[in-house]
Amino acid sequence: MNIVVAIKHIPSIADDVPVKGNNVDFDSVDFVLNEWDEHSIEQAVLIKEAVGGTVTVIGVDLIGELDNALHLALAKGADKVVKITADDPAADSHMQAKWLSEAIKGMGANMVFAGVQASNDLDGQIGPMIAAYLDMPYIGGVSSVEANSDSATVNKEFAGGAGAKYSVSMPFVAGVQAAPKPPRYAPVSKVRQMAQSATVEKVAPSGDASSGLTFKKMAPPVVTGHAEMIEGSSKEVAAKIVELLKSKGLA
Amino acid sequence: MLTPIEKILFILLALVSAGFTFHGFKTIIDTVRKGRPAPELKNIPASLLKAGVTVLFQRTIFKARKALSAVHLGLFFGLITYAFVNLFDVLEGLIPNFDLTYSGKHLAPPAWTIPLINIYSLVSDVMSMFLLIAITIFLVRRFIVKDKALTYRENVLLNPKVKAGGQAKDSLIVGVFVIMHVTAHVLSQAYRLTEGADPFMPFASFLNSIFGASETGMHVAWWVSIGWVMFIIPYLSRSKHTHFFMAPINLGLAKQNPRGQLDPAIPLKVIDGRKYDPGAKVITDLAWKRILDAYACVQCNRCQDVCPANFYQRPLSPSALEVNKRYLLKEATFGSHPDLLLAPLTETVISPEAVWSCTTCYACVRVCPVGNEPMADIVDIRRRMLIDGFEIDSGVQTALQSLATNGNWMGKGKRLRGRWAKELEFPVKNATEEPVEVLWFVGDTASFDERVIPNTKMVARIFHQAGLDFGILYQNESNAGNDVRRVGEEGLFEQLVEQNMAAFGKAQFQRIVTTDPHSFNTLKNEYPQFGGKFEVKHYTVTLLKLFEEGKLTVKNKLSHYKVTFHDPCYLGRYNGGFTAPRKLLELLGVEFHEMPRNCENSFCCGAGGGQIWMGKVAPGERPAENRIKEALSTFEKHPSDKKQLFIVTCPKDMVMYSDAVKTTGNEGKIEVRDIIQLVAEAVGVEEVSPIVG
Amino acid sequence: MSNDILVITEHMDGKFSDVSFELVGKAKELAKALGGQAAAVVVGGGVDANVFASDSTIQVDDAALSQFNPEAYAKVVEALVKEKSPKVVMFGWTVTGMDIAAWLSARLGVPCAAYAKDVRVEGGGIVVSCQAYGGKLTAEVAPEGETAIVACLAGSFPAEAGQGATAAEKIASPVDLSGLKMKFIEMVKPAGGDVDITAQTKLVSVGRGIGGKENIELAEELAAKLGAVVSASRPVVDAGWLPRTRQVGKSGLKVKPKLYLMLGISGAPEHLEGMKGAELIIAINTDKKAPIFNVAHYGATADLFEVAEAMLELL
Ligand SMILES: Cc1cc2nc3c(=O)[nH]c(=O)nc-3n(C[C@H](O)[C@H](O)[C@H](O)COP(=O)(O)OP(=O)(O)OC[C@H]3O[C@@H](n4cnc5c(N)ncnc54)[C@H](O)[C@@H]3O)c2cc1C
Ligand code: SF4
Ligand code: SF4
Repeated sequence: MNIVVAIKHIPSIADDVPVKGNNVDFDSVDFVLNEWDEHSIEQAVLIKEAVGGTVTVIGVDLIGELDNALHLALAKGADKVVKITADDPAADSHMQAKWLSEAIKGMGANMVFAGVQASNDLDGQIGPMIAAYLDMPYIGGVSSVEANSDSATVNKEFAGGAGAKYSVSMPFVAGVQAAPKPPRYAPVSKVRQMAQSATVEKVAPSGDASSGLTFKKMAPPVVTGHAEMIEGSSKEVAAKIVELLKSKGLA
Repeated sequence: MLTPIEKILFILLALVSAGFTFHGFKTIIDTVRKGRPAPELKNIPASLLKAGVTVLFQRTIFKARKALSAVHLGLFFGLITYAFVNLFDVLEGLIPNFDLTYSGKHLAPPAWTIPLINIYSLVSDVMSMFLLIAITIFLVRRFIVKDKALTYRENVLLNPKVKAGGQAKDSLIVGVFVIMHVTAHVLSQAYRLTEGADPFMPFASFLNSIFGASETGMHVAWWVSIGWVMFIIPYLSRSKHTHFFMAPINLGLAKQNPRGQLDPAIPLKVIDGRKYDPGAKVITDLAWKRILDAYACVQCNRCQDVCPANFYQRPLSPSALEVNKRYLLKEATFGSHPDLLLAPLTETVISPEAVWSCTTCYACVRVCPVGNEPMADIVDIRRRMLIDGFEIDSGVQTALQSLATNGNWMGKGKRLRGRWAKELEFPVKNATEEPVEVLWFVGDTASFDERVIPNTKMVARIFHQAGLDFGILYQNESNAGNDVRRVGEEGLFEQLVEQNMAAFGKAQFQRIVTTDPHSFNTLKNEYPQFGGKFEVKHYTVTLLKLFEEGKLTVKNKLSHYKVTFHDPCYLGRYNGGFTAPRKLLELLGVEFHEMPRNCENSFCCGAGGGQIWMGKVAPGERPAENRIKEALSTFEKHPSDKKQLFIVTCPKDMVMYSDAVKTTGNEGKIEVRDIIQLVAEAVGVEEVSPIVG
Repeated sequence: MSNDILVITEHMDGKFSDVSFELVGKAKELAKALGGQAAAVVVGGGVDANVFASDSTIQVDDAALSQFNPEAYAKVVEALVKEKSPKVVMFGWTVTGMDIAAWLSARLGVPCAAYAKDVRVEGGGIVVSCQAYGGKLTAEVAPEGETAIVACLAGSFPAEAGQGATAAEKIASPVDLSGLKMKFIEMVKPAGGDVDITAQTKLVSVGRGIGGKENIELAEELAAKLGAVVSASRPVVDAGWLPRTRQVGKSGLKVKPKLYLMLGISGAPEHLEGMKGAELIIAINTDKKAPIFNVAHYGATADLFEVAEAMLELL
C-alpha cells in the first residue's frame, strides 16, 4: 500500500496571532504542524502496520523550518519525507495544493491523506483541492480507513455521532478528522536519530494556482459581547452561580 | 572434645556447607555481572573501608526509626561477636582440651591470656543473652505486633512468593536459627561447667545450676549450635539475609556522583562493543549496581515509609520494587525460572501505574541504609517505556509535545516567555544582547503561570532595587529539562540542554541564578556533563548575599508573621540548600517554626518527576495536603494571633500548596507565600500580590 | 454569467439541517442586493424540498444520490454551477459542505472563501468575513472573478428567513453517475442506549480542561445535583472519556438547552456551532482570554475543579 500524507505547516494559534497589514505577521509567529495532520499521519502508519506498504509524508516548506515536522513523521513510522521548497509563508491553500499535487502525481499513491482542515484554510482545505487537481475522488471527515487490495473501507463522520461507511476504490484522497487511535508520541531521541540519518527529499515548487481572494482586512474579531464576569474566589464564584441558577429556577 | 567419628562428620559437613556457600555467592556475583556497566567509581578501597566503618556503627540506619535501630545495632554487634564465638566453638570441638571455661584452666594457657579469656567469656555470655532478647523483639514485631511498616499496600505489585509470606518465612528461619543457635551454644558451655559457676559466664552458670553438667549434653548442644551454622551460611546466600554480606559492599559501591545527576540512559562505558537501548525493560538492562541493590536490600521498608507516592495510595513502593527484583533473581538463578531474567520489569517488579507515580523526590534513596537507589530503576524503566511506544499519560504526552515544539510545557509560544518582563516599570536586559553579571534562568512556571508571575515580577523588582546587574534570555530560554529527564524522555532532555547551551553561548554572564529548584538542579549537576561550565545559584542564596553586602536592608521587621518553611526536594535533599532560606527568614525577623519533616527529611509536594503534568489522579489525601496539615499542627504548638504563613521557594510549590490550602479548607488559617513576597515587604517594595485564582 | 446565488442545501434522514435555511435566507438578501435570484439546490430525492423561501428550488433526483456520496454530490453540483454560472455558490462549512466547496473551487478555478461568518455586497461584488485562525482573527476577503464559492459556518444567519414553501423543480442528474469510485455502504448510527443530549433542558459540558477520564465523575455528580446531563467538547470524546453521543458541536450534536454550564471548554468555533443557541451559557475557564467568554452570558476565571466542588457543597 502506497500512502502519501500531505501536511500543512501553519501559524500557531496557541497565542494571539499577530497581524501585519492585511495578513498574518509571518515573521513573528511560530509555525507548527496542523493538528489534524498528526491524525492523518497516525492513520497512515496504522494502515502500514496492519497491511504493510510505505508512507510518504510531503509538505510545503514555507519558512525553511519544515524539517522538524518531517523528522517527527519519520520517527512515528513514515518511510519517506519530501519537502517542497517554497519559502513563501503566505502561500495559500490553492497554491500549496497545486504544488503538492504536481509532486504527488508521479508517486503512484494508492491513497492520499490530508488533515480534514487547518485553521488557516481561508480559501478551503488542501485535501479536496489535491483531489481536484489529481482527478481523484475526495472524502472528508474521515475517522477510520481500512485498506483492502484496491479499495478501502472508509468511515466518514456526520453530526451527532452518526457516520457512514463507504467503499472507495483507489486512488483517492481522504481528509482525516481523527485516527482510530490518538496520535502516538515520538520520543525525541528517535526524531533526532532521523534528523541525523534520514534524508529529506527536496522538490522545487511547480505549477501555479491562486485562491482568487483579495485580503481587505485582517484583525482580531470585534468583540460584540462579553460574558458578565463573576469575580472572587472559586467558592464565591460557585455561590454566585448557584444563586443565579436558583433565581432562574434552574437549580 | 569431639570423637574421631564426630570430627570426620564435622569436616564432611563443613565441606558440603562451604560448597553450597561458594555456589550461592558465585551465583550472586555472576548475576550481578549480568547488569550493564555502571558509572565509573573512584577509589573503591577507600569507599569500601568507609562503608565498613559506617556499617560497624550502623550510621545509616539511624536516619529513621531510632529506637528499633538501636536494637538493630545490638543485634549487629551480637552477631559480630558470634563470629568469634563460633570460631572458638569449632576449636573446642576439634582441639582436645581446648576449653575456655574457668579462665581456660584446662588449656593451661600463658598467664597473660587469662584476662583476655575472661573478657571473651563474659562478652560472649552477655551478648548471647542480649541476642536472645533482641531477636525476640524483632520476631514479636513481625509476627505478633505485625508492624504495618513491614506490609505493602494492596495495590502494589508483589511477587507471588512475597505475597504468600516469603519474607516472613525467611525471617522466621533466621530468627529460629539465632534462638536455637545461641541457646545451644550457651547450653554447651553450661554443660561444660563441671565445677559449678564460672563468674565470667553468669548466664551459662545460671543454666548450669538448673541442668547441671553433662558430657552427652555438651556434644548434643555443640552439634546443634555448629550444625545450624553449617546450614545457615549457605542458606543466607539464598535468603533476604544476604544483606549481612551485601549491604556493606553495596554501601561501599554507592553513588559517588552528585545526587542530582541521573545516570545516563545508555551506559557511557561500552563492553565488547555491545549496543544498548536506552533505559531498562528487563532486569539485566539495569546497571550491575542496581542488581546488587536487590541483594543488599534489608527489606526494611524505610523507603516505603518516606515515599510520597506510597502515602498518596498510589501503587508504588520502592521497597516492593527491590524485594520483587530479589525474588525474581532468586527464582531465575537458584530456582527453575531462568526465563524470568527476560520478563518485562513492568510485569514482574513494578506496575506501569507505579512507574508513573514516582515524583523523583529522592527520599527513598536518601533514607536507604544500604545505599540502594530504587528511583534510578524507575527512571530507567520510564526511559524504555517511552522508547518502546508504551502509551503514556495524555497530560504527559501533551506536555512533552509542547516542550519539543515550544520549549515549555504549557503550550505557550516561545516569544511569550519574556512577556511578563515587558510589563515591568523598568527594562529587563536581554542577556543575549548585552553582557550581564547575573543571568536569571526563569523557568516555565514562573514565566507563564498567571498565578506565579506576580512573584516573578517581584524578584525582578528586588534585584533591580538592589542594583544587581541581571538579565534574562527571553525567548532563547527553554525549559531546563530536569523533569523531562526524570519522566524518561532523555532525547528531549538533550535537545533542551542543547537549546539552552546555545542560548548561554550567546550570552555574557558571570553566574546563573534560578528561581526554580528543578532548573537549579539540572543546571548545576547535569549541564556540566554537556559542557556547561558555570556557577549556578538559587535565588535564596543571591538574596542572602545582597542582604549581607548591604545592598538590601530590612526596613520593616516581619515579626507579625509566624512562618514555617518547606524544603523543596530539588533544593534541599538534592542540593543541600537548607541554610540560605532559613537565614533569610531569620533576617526578616519572622517567628519561625520548623516542621517535623524538614531539611533532608522534607516531604515532597507531589509535583516532581512530571507528576504536575498528569491529569488529576486518585482520590485520597495528597502529599501537599498532608504537608499543609503538618504545618498547621506545627503552628498549633505555638499559639498566637500572628498571621500564619507557609513559605516556599519554588514556583511549583506555590501552585501545589496554594491549591492544597484550598482543598483542605484552610483558607484564612494559613497562607502560602514565596519567600520573595516577604523580602519585598521587609525591604519595602510595593505590590505584594498574593496568589490569585 | 448571472447575478444569481446558488445555495447547496444539506439534508439527512429526510430533514434539512438548519444551516440550509440560514443560507437560503442570506442568499435572498444577497440576491436582492445584486439584482439576481436565489436558488436552492437539493441534491437527492428522499426529502420534501418545498420548504425554502428561495426564488426557486431545484431538486436533483437519482438513485446514486439517495445517500450522501461526496463524489456524486460534487459532480452534480459541478454540473449545475457550470450550467448556471451563478455569482455566488453558497455551502455550509459543515462535514458535508467541506467535502465539496474547496474541491469545486480547484476544479473550476474559481475562488472560495471558507469559515465565512458574514457576506455582504460591496460595489457590485461581495466581501466575505471569515473567522480563521481558530477564531483568533477575522479576515475580510473579496473574491475575484465571475463566480465565487462561499462556505459559511453554521449558525451565522437566522434560519427563519430561509423557511418558505417554494415548489421544487425536480430534475434528473445533469451528469452521468455511473462508474462512481465511491460507494455508500451503510449508515453507522451512534451507539444506542445513551441519553439524548439534544432533549435535555440542562447540560453540564466538559472540555479538555477536565484533564482525564477519572474526573468525569465530578461533572456527573454536579449534573446529578442540577438535574442535568453531562455533555462534552470533541477532545473529551476523542480521548474516550465520554461516548460520542455526548459530543456537542459541529461534528457532534446541536443543543439548545435552558442551561449550558461549561467547564474547561475554550470555545472553539466548532464547539460554538453546537451550543450558541443555549438560553443561559455559563463558562468556567482558567484562561481569562478564552474565546468562550465572548459568547457566554456569564463567565468566571477560575479552576473548574474548585468551582464544581464548591457548587456541590452548596446544592
Ligand atoms: C471538522 C471538525 C469538527 C469538529 N467538531 C467539533 C465538535 O463537534 N465539538 C467540539 O467541541 N469540537 C469540535 N472540533 C474541535 C474544535 O476545533 C476544538 O479543537 C475543540 O472544541 C476544543 O475543545 P476544548 O475547548 O475542550 O479544548 P481546548 O481548546 O484545549 O480548551 C480547554 C480549555 O480548558 C481550560 N482549562 C484547563 N484547565 C482548566 C481548569 N482546571 N479549570 C478551568 N478551565 C480549564 C483551558 O484554559 C482551555 O481554555 C471539530 C473540529 C473539526 C475540524
Ligand atoms: S523517589 Fe520519591 S516518589 Fe519515587 S519511589 Fe522514591 S520516595 Fe517514592
Ligand atoms: S531499598 Fe533500602 S530502605 Fe528500601 S527496603 Fe531495601 S534496604 Fe530498606
